[in-house]
Amino acid sequence: MAENIESNPFVDVSVFLFFEDISDKQGVEGFTNYMVGQAESLAKSVPEEEYETWDDFAKAVASGESVFSSFESIEQISKYGFVTNICPFSKAIREYIKRIGNFNPVHVEATDHYNHTIQPSAAHSACMMHQTYRKEVAKRIKIDGKPLQYAQIGAKAYTGDIALPPESWKKVLLEKAGISETQGFMEMRENSCLYLLYVEERSSR
Amino acid sequence: MMDIAIYSLVDDMVSKAGTEGVVEYWLRVGESYAERMGKEAYVGWPAFNVAMKEGRTSLTVEGEVNVLTDLAIIDKDGDVIGYVYALKTCPMAPTMRRYISRIGPIPDSDTDVADSYNNRIRDSAVSNYCITHQRFREIAANNVTVAKQALECLQLANKGMTGDVKMVPENLARINVDERHIKSILRSASCVFAIIVKGKSAGEEVVD
Repeated sequence: MAENIESNPFVDVSVFLFFEDISDKQGVEGFTNYMVGQAESLAKSVPEEEYETWDDFAKAVASGESVFSSFESIEQISKYGFVTNICPFSKAIREYIKRIGNFNPVHVEATDHYNHTIQPSAAHSACMMHQTYRKEVAKRIKIDGKPLQYAQIGAKAYTGDIALPPESWKKVLLEKAGISETQGFMEMRENSCLYLLYVEERSSR
Repeated sequence: MMDIAIYSLVDDMVSKAGTEGVVEYWLRVGESYAERMGKEAYVGWPAFNVAMKEGRTSLTVEGEVNVLTDLAIIDKDGDVIGYVYALKTCPMAPTMRRYISRIGPIPDSDTDVADSYNNRIRDSAVSNYCITHQRFREIAANNVTVAKQALECLQLANKGMTGDVKMVPENLARINVDERHIKSILRSASCVFAIIVKGKSAGEEVVD
């Protein structure tokens, strides 16, 4: 596993403020667009990866050797179900609250905007960046020649609120992950993020 | 992960708002960050320096500083008007190392934004983040009083990841400290600044 280098919270907090300044000038839509846009750019900068088998990929992700787990510690809970125990933004969020106080309401507004216009999966504004990054990074990983697919199931905010997809999506996603709804809730009690990583099975003709 | 966003965000913003636009954003971020830290008051320089050493002031949220009490700044009457401080590690250094290790080389937009600031405002940035960091310290210092006197922060020198050094000669002259002395401090620090009583200088004149 690569060396774990801790960021300086001073920098983390200033990035949140940078986004707040963007929202002052360009509104919540500008905030959301920049958050999503920069995550896409960041993901496009990471090196591509190829794995021969699903197990090779799952092992690399869980050991922190894949670009997918560059910024978070990931655990595999079923063949396609994965969890992140500690949100990689939690330290930055705690430091913001410690140093500055309550989060600027624009973060909730931007999260709502994302949930209504892109997909209903963000529990905090940082989820927009994180989930976009994961979605784009997945496109750079191939397993047995097929691109990795990513779908968010649950995300928990520092307030304890959990963002879940609509019932009809949730059922399909949990089924694909091979876990029940109760198991999903149990995972969300222990972890900050639950999601699906998979490759499309070859269709038999 | 939030810190890593800086480079892709700056890259994106340069393409939309230009380097000058990014400099303006960073300056405003530094100001709002410092303004939201609140005000502080110390009875005298010893109390302030202990707080700096223990990391209790808004000026030390960026990291640990060496308080160079041997470098007291004296005005023409022999009164202490401030001290020199050295930030041990640049707050951006871990992010740079993480970015290089996980993503790749630092994008050119980092230098482009720093150059825009250096050419138009003050030649003191070794990376784009110096813009907000230095602004933060300047505004944060304005929110602190020592013995009921308002303070100001003077950027003196800093060192980039590749070893390039930026000095601010007008500020060195104002506190009457030799450039070679500051260079020797930079051997074990990444950023050197002075905190002095607002408007004072080591010379004959009081600066407005």
